[in-house]
Amino acid sequence: MQRSSWRGLGFDAEPLCGRDGARMISGYHANMTSAASERLSRLVIEHGLRPMAIAVCFVLVALLWTFPLQHVISYPFVFLFFGAIMGSAWFGGMVSGFMAVVASSLLIGYFFIPPFFSAAIAKESQSFFAAFILCAIAITVVSSARKRAENAIREAHDELEFKVLERTAELVRSNREIQESERQLRLLTEAIPQQVWRADAEGRIEHCNQHLRNYTGRNVTELAGESFFDILDPEDAPLYMQGWKTALATGGRFEVEARVRGADGIYRWFLARSIPQRSEDGKIAHWYGIHIDVEEQHRAQQNLTVAHEDLARYARTMSMAEMAASIAHELNQPLTAVVTHAYACREWLNSQPVNTDKAASTAEKIVQESTRASAVVSRVRALFRKDAQVRESADMNRVIRDLVRVLRDEAIRCEIPIRLILSADLPKLRMDPIQIQLVLRNLVMNAMEAMAQTAAPRELAIRSAMHGDREVLVSVEDRGPGFAPEIAQRLFEPFFSTKPEGTGMGLAICRSIIETHDGHMWAENSPHGGAVFQFTVRAKQ
Amino acid sequence: MTEKTETAIRTSEAVFIVDDDASICEGLSNLLESVGIRSETYSSAEAILEDWSESNAGCMLLDARLPGMSGVEFQGKMQKLGIGMPVIFMTAHGDIPMVRKVMKAGAVEFLTKPFKKEELLHAIDQAFAFDRKRRQDEEILNSIKARMDTLTGREREVMERVTAGLLNKQIAAELNLSEITVKLYRRQVMDKMHAGSLAELVKLCERVKTPSRATGDRA
Repeated sequence: MQRSSWRGLGFDAEPLCGRDGARMISGYHANMTSAASERLSRLVIEHGLRPMAIAVCFVLVALLWTFPLQHVISYPFVFLFFGAIMGSAWFGGMVSGFMAVVASSLLIGYFFIPPFFSAAIAKESQSFFAAFILCAIAITVVSSARKRAENAIREAHDELEFKVLERTAELVRSNREIQESERQLRLLTEAIPQQVWRADAEGRIEHCNQHLRNYTGRNVTELAGESFFDILDPEDAPLYMQGWKTALATGGRFEVEARVRGADGIYRWFLARSIPQRSEDGKIAHWYGIHIDVEEQHRAQQNLTVAHEDLARYARTMSMAEMAASIAHELNQPLTAVVTHAYACREWLNSQPVNTDKAASTAEKIVQESTRASAVVSRVRALFRKDAQVRESADMNRVIRDLVRVLRDEAIRCEIPIRLILSADLPKLRMDPIQIQLVLRNLVMNAMEAMAQTAAPRELAIRSAMHGDREVLVSVEDRGPGFAPEIAQRLFEPFFSTKPEGTGMGLAICRSIIETHDGHMWAENSPHGGAVFQFTVRAKQ
Repeated sequence: MTEKTETAIRTSEAVFIVDDDASICEGLSNLLESVGIRSETYSSAEAILEDWSESNAGCMLLDARLPGMSGVEFQGKMQKLGIGMPVIFMTAHGDIPMVRKVMKAGAVEFLTKPFKKEELLHAIDQAFAFDRKRRQDEEILNSIKARMDTLTGREREVMERVTAGLLNKQIAAELNLSEITVKLYRRQVMDKMHAGSLAELVKLCERVKTPSRATGDRA
């Protein structure tokens, strides 16, 4: 039993091996009933039996080696015992060391100091023996202290290593958690059916979701920095840039609507929004942005605007119809009175005897009512006098561009490209822009309708140019079938229409509007096929 | 109906003209006066409702478009108020849905301004005839009601049961009277109601139970 425990100690040579040994030994005593006695026995083993066993082993080895050596060379090989003492103190601690000192002293005194094989010590050897004991004690103390220190260092080292391992594991775990949460966040941004991006403090895009990459057909590096503005509609880019720069400078919210070109080259309206994320010291760390596709809303809005304008246009003709109805009503009332009075007058004249008083007063009424009817007519005429004209200084090209923007969707729907050939140096004109736009709109819509049945190539060209010194000429040319020359003059007559459901009022109203602008309007057949409607507006003096 | 009462009804008849245009009102009343028809003019539906009396007889000549309550709305209101007077509509420009609506609601005629004298007078004649019939029915009904009012409680009970077809014996049992007493009450009921036979009495009672036959006919 002692031997086995010693083997365990000696071969493992681990600082904590004592515990193992103790566990092994306590295994033999496992059947001991009392825990206290088990602890006692462990104490005895730990501090008594184990050091003693170690000391006995080392000293025995030293003794066994010393005998043959002494036999061969006549020299007191007592230093071997120093080795045994050192080993005992090293492996068994202070107790074991002292046990080895005692055992060694006894054995040396008995075997190797004259008189040999006697516990007595010769006088001349006493100093030697004393020196031996002192040296042995010193070795024991030094060796065990050294061992303790080494043990402490090793323990500290082990503890450190354990802590490092623990810390590393923790780091790995938290790293993995961060990665997982990042992955989930990215999944979330991908799940949003809008374009999401993140930019650094200078506004350079560092990350964007798949939607943005797919829509623009560019990757993050191609979107970063100024190159992002390339995919904006040139018309919206300045506004976007300005808004973005202001937001970057002030750290405020950013919100702008702009058309963005997709990978397919088609522009769509987006609402771009961005908010800064600030770090703890208040500096902007990142910008988070989203591009929301608002093309449908825009289209709906535009349709609404167009519908609204159409409604306004219809309202104008409606109000004309209503005016006609109200004129009819106003005239009808006095006429009804005239008719009834006339009937009455005839009755009074037919009565027996003839009631001349009544007949005369009734005739008087007829005169009054007829006068009233004619007053209605003059009032209506007064309504159509052109006193209240709007005249403001306006740019014809701008009027044309505004209209084309409004009609863009309609043109796309009809698959008719609109070509603008606008003279850059036109003077400002005094006109009613709404009325002129109404005229243009009428001409453009007519042109589109004319081309609805014709095959490609369809094209609608709107030109503006100077006409003489003092007039601006605007022409609208289509590639439709044109018109028969004999109806050229009748085109502008009221109630003349070549369309089955046309009112025949459109061009008549257009011409009258142009004429109130001191201009002319006429139509020709184009040499390319199709019709050209043109009008002039006098420049302001 | 005697000759005398008939003329009385005729003379009390008038055309109630409602039009916001005073000259139309004037012209119409002048024309009606020339042919001997009395007329009253009002500028709005609200005005005529204010002056309305149950005894008014004749017809209404109503402009479809009136300020405030329109002619069509006024027609609906008349029915609610139980004014059974026939209505002739006139308008400067009536649409078909409007015509259909007012004709369905019981208008006599729909005239488009300006209208011919004959059209107007024919419509008025027709309306007056309707109104006469209506008032006669109303008068008869009123006289029956008046006769009924002279009945005592017991007589009324007996009458109800007689007209319901019960035999004297059953009535006596129900009311806890002798058969002789029932017979007595029965004779008194016949006298007071001026009914010559049981059939006539039943008819009179029926008439009271189904009111406003005159308007019912037209609708």
